[in-house]
Amino acid sequence: MLSRQAKDTIVKGLIYFSAASTVGILAVILGFIIIKGLPGLSIDFLTRDYEDNTTYVYSELLETQEGNSTEGYSERLGITLDFDEENGLVIAEIDKDSPVRNALDGNDEKYTVKKGDILTRIGDLRIDREFKELDSKDEKAAAEFVQKAIDEIDAVKEDSVRLRVVRIGGGIVPMAVTTIYMIILSLMIAGPVGILSAVYLNEYARPGKIMTTIHFAIKNLAGIPSIIYGLFGSLFFVQILKMQYSLLAGALTISIILLPTIIATTEETLKSIPKTYRESSLGLGATKLQTISRVILPNALPGILVAVLLSIGRIVGESAALLLTAGTVAQIPHALFGNSASGATLTIKAYTLMKEENDLTSACAIGIVLLVIIIAINVASKLITNKFLKKKGI
Amino acid sequence: MEVNKKPKFEVNNLNLFYGDFQALKNINMNISSNEITAFIGPSGCGKSTFLKTINRMNDLVPGVRIDGSIKLDGLDIYSDIDVIKLRQRVGMVFQQPNPFPMSIYDNVAYGPRIHGIKKKSVLDEIVEKSLRQAAIWDEVKDRLKRNAIGVSGGQQQRICIARALAVQPEVILMDEPTSALDPISTQKIEDLAVELKKDYTIIMVTHNMQQASRISDKTAFFLSGEVIEFGETGQIFSNPRDKKTENYITGRFG
Ligand SMILES: Nc1ncnc2c1ncn2[C@@H]1O[C@H](COP(=O)(O)OP(=O)(O)OP(=O)(O)O)[C@@H](O)[C@H]1O
Ligand SMILES: [Mg+2]
Repeated sequence: MLSRQAKDTIVKGLIYFSAASTVGILAVILGFIIIKGLPGLSIDFLTRDYEDNTTYVYSELLETQEGNSTEGYSERLGITLDFDEENGLVIAEIDKDSPVRNALDGNDEKYTVKKGDILTRIGDLRIDREFKELDSKDEKAAAEFVQKAIDEIDAVKEDSVRLRVVRIGGGIVPMAVTTIYMIILSLMIAGPVGILSAVYLNEYARPGKIMTTIHFAIKNLAGIPSIIYGLFGSLFFVQILKMQYSLLAGALTISIILLPTIIATTEETLKSIPKTYRESSLGLGATKLQTISRVILPNALPGILVAVLLSIGRIVGESAALLLTAGTVAQIPHALFGNSASGATLTIKAYTLMKEENDLTSACAIGIVLLVIIIAINVASKLITNKFLKKKGI
Repeated sequence: MEVNKKPKFEVNNLNLFYGDFQALKNINMNISSNEITAFIGPSGCGKSTFLKTINRMNDLVPGVRIDGSIKLDGLDIYSDIDVIKLRQRVGMVFQQPNPFPMSIYDNVAYGPRIHGIKKKSVLDEIVEKSLRQAAIWDEVKDRLKRNAIGVSGGQQQRICIARALAVQPEVILMDEPTSALDPISTQKIEDLAVELKKDYTIIMVTHNMQQASRISDKTAFFLSGEVIEFGETGQIFSNPRDKKTENYITGRFG
């Protein structure tokens, strides 16, 4: 027989062990993501397009005045060129009055060449080929390689030159933008619908069988795995409504996923608002609508905000449903639906990076970005809740 | 009593049912203007129910059924007056002080605002006047922007009275307005009620016999949904006609 004290100690030990292993597992997961992802995380990663972009541009040339012989400086283009072991000829510096800032692309539209862009062709000189033949360890050869490009520019007789500019990708900008689009669009759809439904259910509808059914439905909708919504969305929005893989199809599908939570959270908040507020407002001769818009909703705002924040978390984290409705293309959607409206969110991209490109580092780097977003959301909703409670004097 | 003075309210054969339960039974009563009318009676006898019927707050309760009539200045409150208009004319102060969780100023300005007054100067004026009438101006004039939830219960209740006054009602219904308050705050509200009856008609539910006898002009004694006795307060308390009234006011009830 164990003594009571011994039993106590054992139980306590078990509790500590469970708590410690939970925290431990969390730490391991976060640590893993951070260690694997940090090498991939950089300013370039956060600010660049995903794909390399190659553009032919035409730039005017300035008159040479001779005499300026800074290494790598092309007077006629007003840029400083440098050798980059990985990419070849990189634009290291651009003068304020450099003509490349106002270069024109093939469609005669302005294309601003930027610092960090790579030149792979100047006029007829195939810099990329030259680069391939170059021994990158040889510093002298590298300097000659740069000088050759500058000489080529100086040798142009016309007053403009055609350049092939490669803007290096490898960043997450399109996914970040798609994610933001997805958040805005989904909230614009699910927010008003959800909040108004909750107001209707709580303030207008009379309790009864129908109400019970609606509440039953809402409760159960919240528990359905999102792949089911994804299947529905891909069938209904993508195919039947012919939206194709698109922002709108994704946002509509996500809205359906969000609605039960938004409705339930908002309704909960509305329920917590004392009946006396409604009575005193009506007692002062306010209409029901005035009471809702001036007393009920302002008081429900913190709760609604928390619902919205939770929704953002859900949108950011959603994978299955979006995979089947918004697609996996790493691009900024240019329309709501149709051909060019598809786009992968950060989460989707992390998935495809791992699945299709086996790029663990980038996937984990995205993981870090997601973690930061989610933590920020949680902190914000905590702050809102605390402030709200303080205001209520609880 | 002036004989030819028209009553503010005429209540005729009023019955009220919550579902199957009859909460008010055949009530007949005339309530005069510029007087304080007190409703007394044991818990559950229907005082609050009757009070809430007068400005139709009972409309909010599902399953309520009413027959008979209540007339305000000769007009039936259920058929001749719009309910919004009625509640504007007949204001209400509840048992628990219940200011909105907004600033003192916004609380008092709430009524005028919903009735379409937007001009700051007009609102300022109404707020000050109402708070003065409710005898709380001096206590809060320096913190009008502070949340009304943060002041004492007695002050909250007077803010609620000011809030009711700000819509310029003709009648003020008070449901046990002092039962949650300390004696000093109670005293203030009583003085206030006496002061206000010059301009308003006041109907007040109270469990406090002394309060009824101190400040009211007329008293109605309710029992199980019926009005047992209604008359001059002095007469009710000194010389009740009904044995049940006497038992109740002398505390021998039950
Ligand atoms: N919404 C309601 N639904 C059903 N019955 C109700 C409702 N409100 C009140 N009643 C019943 O009607 C009767 C009268 O209630 P009322 O609140 O008017 O009493 P009261 O005289 O104000 O009592 P108290 O002094 O305790 O405030 C009580 O029996 C009560 O249970
Ligand atoms: Mg009552």
